[in-house]
Parts: sequence; structure tokens; C-alpha cells
Amino acid sequence: MSELLNTLMRDARVWQGHRHIQTTQPAEPTGYQVLDNQLGGLGWPRGALSECLLDAPGIGELHLLLPLMQRVCEEGKSVFWLNPPHTPYAPALAREGVNLDQVVLIHTEEEGDFLWTMENCLRSPVTGLVMAWPGKLASREVRRLQLAAEAGSNVCVLFRERRYAEQNSPAALRLELEPGEQQGLKVNVLKRRGSWPGQRCSLAMAQRADLSSRETTRTIRGPWSGSIG
Amino acid sequence: MLWLYLHFPQLVLDHIRRSREDQGALVVVEGSGQKVVQACSEAREQGIRSGMRLKTAISLAPDLGMVRADETREARILEDQARWLYRYAAHIVLVPPDGLLAEIGSLQKLYGGLLAVWQTVEQGLNERQLNASIGIGHTPLAARLIARAGKGECTADKGHILRTLSQMPLLAAEFNEKACTRLRRLGLNTLGEVFDLPSGELARRLSPELLAYIQKIQGTRPDPRTPWQPPHSFRQQADFVQEIEHAHGLLFPLQRMLAELEDDLCWRQQDTDSLRLVLRHRHAEPTRLQIRMSGPEHRAGNFLNLIHLRLEQHSLSAPVISMVLLVKRFLSREAPSGQDLLGETRDLNEAWHTLISRLQARLGDQALRQLSPQADHRPERAWSAAEVLRKTGTPLMPAAELPRRPLWLSKSPQPLTEAPVAWFSGPERISGGWWDGQRVHRDYYIAQLNSGQLAWVFRDAREGWFVHGWFG
Repeated sequence: MSELLNTLMRDARVWQGHRHIQTTQPAEPTGYQVLDNQLGGLGWPRGALSECLLDAPGIGELHLLLPLMQRVCEEGKSVFWLNPPHTPYAPALAREGVNLDQVVLIHTEEEGDFLWTMENCLRSPVTGLVMAWPGKLASREVRRLQLAAEAGSNVCVLFRERRYAEQNSPAALRLELEPGEQQGLKVNVLKRRGSWPGQRCSLAMAQRADLSSRETTRTIRGPWSGSIG
Repeated sequence: MLWLYLHFPQLVLDHIRRSREDQGALVVVEGSGQKVVQACSEAREQGIRSGMRLKTAISLAPDLGMVRADETREARILEDQARWLYRYAAHIVLVPPDGLLAEIGSLQKLYGGLLAVWQTVEQGLNERQLNASIGIGHTPLAARLIARAGKGECTADKGHILRTLSQMPLLAAEFNEKACTRLRRLGLNTLGEVFDLPSGELARRLSPELLAYIQKIQGTRPDPRTPWQPPHSFRQQADFVQEIEHAHGLLFPLQRMLAELEDDLCWRQQDTDSLRLVLRHRHAEPTRLQIRMSGPEHRAGNFLNLIHLRLEQHSLSAPVISMVLLVKRFLSREAPSGQDLLGETRDLNEAWHTLISRLQARLGDQALRQLSPQADHRPERAWSAAEVLRKTGTPLMPAAELPRRPLWLSKSPQPLTEAPVAWFSGPERISGGWWDGQRVHRDYYIAQLNSGQLAWVFRDAREGWFVHGWFG
């Protein structure tokens, strides 16, 4: 087989249904063993795009990335938050052990600026992780970002709405996130490079609000007096 | 003492030519705009001479570029030349409008001979594409007369210098008109014949001032000159004959100006982190651009990239007639420190500054923010966003002491529109702010909404329910 074909096979760029290849692509463990197992023991791919598709914030999507954020900051690399929908809350991040000196928040006004900023962040060696909330993206633009991600070797996670799940995307990893039982997070692997998709798992995320399992079974009678709803 | 004189016969023309891409004919026109004062070599080839009427000149060369003579500008351009010459010689005297004097007697040893000094200066002139004639003399005036006559020779021999001067005609000696006529009536034609006259007779028959002048040329009377001091800032200006309408037209002259800046910074052994660019327009207020780097920088290429980005964002409001580059803030160069064995830390530091500067140049300073917790009980005041700064080695906050908070904070509290399906913890009362008028009196709860989102909700003193954050 030619050299080119070998490379394509080895990097799992050509999908082969009859065998699962242990890919050699670089990756960062997610910090959640259950999820890592579902992702072939790898985790977040480096030098490629990942997508998280979810309906609304507040289901544990940031906690999914928190172990990686902590690790990136410890290594002295930067974490970029690009156009987040709400303000990342500094006291909470500090409490979780994220070094805020490495966290840079970027807001772009114009549409062209978003892609430009992403490309620059992705190509820089100081970047460890880029988290971006792009809003609407044409698939041509996702392709452009994927190419930029390949130029660097950092993790890039796009947070998009769940309705894009049906849309085709060049991202290397696509996860659908839904709220699960007991404030957990249900992860549905829509696509991953080099293997079958369709793995599902559920991650316990109740600790993000200090809710131990004991507490969750106990129903607190809210001060709700029926004044709303 | 030995003096070197630089005579710039067409300084303004050289200056303008340097910031032009095309090389058309150029002339300097006197203040009233009637006569040509100077013409460049291209213009002279087309038959234009200085002293010619402007109308005649235009009919000879229809696409003639014209610059109005302006004393302040000439003085400024001359000072620009003094700045680069200062790198080679410490004692410099400005001789307006078109000359520079440098004391070089003390430099011979440093450079290894007079010839080396001469060549260094000549190379400096070539690099800057300046037309100048060099003269060396044992007095400032002798050097000046020799340079202006174009008879400069690389010699320190006093006898030879005096012989050269002696052969000069009276007109070249720059006597005032009255003295010149009287000397000619006495039958004197060259400077040498004047030198031969006894000094007592000269003072009696002509004037003591004339004697003093001649003695200053010869070196028998002291001729002190106050040395020029270089300013503590960097300033470069480019003047354009044709107005520049598109931002990319500014890049060509900028390249040269930034190269000079890099040179200047190298000589100072300093860096800078902000440049000021002033674009002057004919009929509008000048545009002022501040280009900031996130860290110290001295390389012209990096400056140019940032300015390029900035100009892409701001299209020109009006055509530009001149451009000034100013640097007033200098930072001493940091010794490389904190390197690990592979030297990676430094590279990362630099890459970080490059990236942040690029982003700031295009998105504006306000687009990039760094977060930090603040000591306040009110959630909206418990954090702050500041400009991005590279901080290294700052110890982490004692994080465990912070209370449990959501990772997302809404930009402002949003009204709660549905009844939560489950309540988890609370109430946590936060009350404060009576001291600054931003009073807060709230009970916070953690609740799960129908959509599965975990929200941080509160009820305030007015009995309203709001969502203030999400446990992301």
C-alpha cells in the first residue's frame, strides 16, 4: 500500500466499518473514566475540533471540561473562552482550582472576527484549550476551523445547539449532552474518528452544586408559595 | 580638533523621495508658490532649473511633484539626520538649514583611522539614500566651506586643508555682499590672497567682524559651538507629495520608518510597548492611532503586522498628507530569565505576547478580558474583569475557602418564569451593599428547572424570583 494510504489508515481518516483501529491520534483524557472508556480510552482529540451539542447551559457542560481546564492551566498554557453566553464566574473557577491568570475571555463583535480570532488562538503554541460558542456556523466555516485546529495541537471545543446534531460536521468528536438522572449528564457520542459512534454513558455531576446523593433523596420543601407559575 | 561637515544640497527632496514608491520628478517651490527653489535630478534632466518660474516648470514636466518650502519642516528633517549621525559621533552641531557638523578628531582612534570614519559616514548616507557632500577641516568653518564647495578630501593635514581653502574663489567663502565687493575692488580674487593680508590692515581697512571670520576659518580664533542633544523620544515623519487615499499605501513608508525605529531601539538597548501614529489630513483633524503591544517589543516586522491589522480595521477617513510615528515610552530590555533547560519558557512568553497583541490590534483593547475574584459578598461584585496582563508565578488563591458558586453568572439577574421541579439547598442569605448604595438583600437557592438545568435562583426583598446563574 502506498505511503499516503498508510497514513490515512493509521490516522483513522478513512472510516472502516469492519475493524476498530487503535488510533494513534493525540488526545487529552477527559478526566472522567467512564467517558474515556467510551471514547476508546482516549478523550478529547488534540489538533482537531470537538463539538458539544446541548440545548441550554447549566446541565454540567463546563464541569465536563473542568479537569482538562485545570490540567491546561497547570501546564502554563492558556484557556480561551470565546463569546460565552454568560459570564464565567471567577470565584467559582478559582474554587475549582483553575488558575485565572491563564484564562482569557474574548468577545468578538463581527462575524469575520470570530473565525479570525479562533484561527489565531488555535495556531498559537500558548493555547491549551479553546472553548467557543459560535452561534451560527456554515459547514464551510467549520471546515476552516478544523484546518486551523490541525495546525496547532490544542483542544478546541465548540458549544452548539442540539439541533445541529443532524447536520453533518467535519469535527473529529461530536457529543450530544442532555441532563440525566440525579443532576447527572448524559453523553451520547454522535461521531468519533476511527470508530463506531453511538456509545452512551451517564456522568455523575451532582457534585457541581455540592449535592451529595444523600441530599438529593431528601426533598427540601421549597419556600415556593405558588406565587409563580 | 577635527571637524566633519555634511552639506545636504537637497535634503527636503531626499526626504520626500524616501517615502515614495514611484520616482517621478520633484521640485521644491518657494513659499509664495511662484518659483522653483530646488529640483531633483529627474526634474533637472527634463530641463527644470532652480529659480525657474513654476509655470515654465510645469509646462516642461506636466506630472511634476511639488513641495512648498517650509522652514519648520526643514529644521525637523535636519534634526532627523542628526539623530542617526549621533550614533557615530557624540559632538554634533546643527547648522540650519542644510548642514551638520560633527567633531571627529576624537573618533579616529575608535574607528581606526580617518578613512574608516569617512567610510562609516558615507555608508550611513547611502543607507538613507541621502545626497550629501562631506568636508573635513581643522575648524568648523573650514570644514563647512570645503563641503559646500564639494572639495572634501579625507585628510587631517592642516597645511593641505589651508591650501584647498586658499584656492577657493571669494564667492565660495560666504562673505557678506558688501565685504565681498570691497575685497574684489582691492583686486583680490581667492581666499588665499585674503589670508596673506596682514591682520591689522584687514581690520582697519575692512571691519573687525570680517577679520574675526577669517581667523575663525584659519583657526587662530576660537569658534565654540554648542553641541546638540538628542531628544528622549523617537519621532519620524513621512510627507507625501500625492495624498494617500488607501491604507495600504501607508505600508511602504511605514516599513522604512519602523526599520529606523528598530535601529534606534537597538542603539538605545530598549524596547517599547506602544506606538503612536498620527495621520494628517488636508482639511480634517488628524487621525491618531495608538498601537499597543502586550509586551516589550523592538522588531520592525512585528510592529508592521500590528499596524497592518489596525489599518485593516480603520479605513482612512480622509486622504493622508503626512504621517508621524512617535514613541515616547521606552522600556529597558529584560534579561532573559526564568528559562528552563530547553529555553521553552521564553518562547512561550513571546508567543503569548504576539498572540495577545495581534488579537488586541484587531478586536480592540476592550475585547480581551481576564477575570479575578474580588472580596465582596454580592455575587455581581465578587468578580472583576481587567485588561490582559502576563502574570507568572502568582500563587493561587486559597480556593477552598470560597463558597460554592455556579460556573456561569448571568450578565444580570433574569426573572424566573417557571416553577422549578426540585429544590436542593438554601436559603443562603446574602445581604450587603448598604455602604455604597448598591444594596442587595437576597435569599439564594439551588433549584432544578423543568429543562434539567441547575439554576442559582434568589428571591429578593421585593419578593421577586430571579435566576442569577447556572451550574454549568
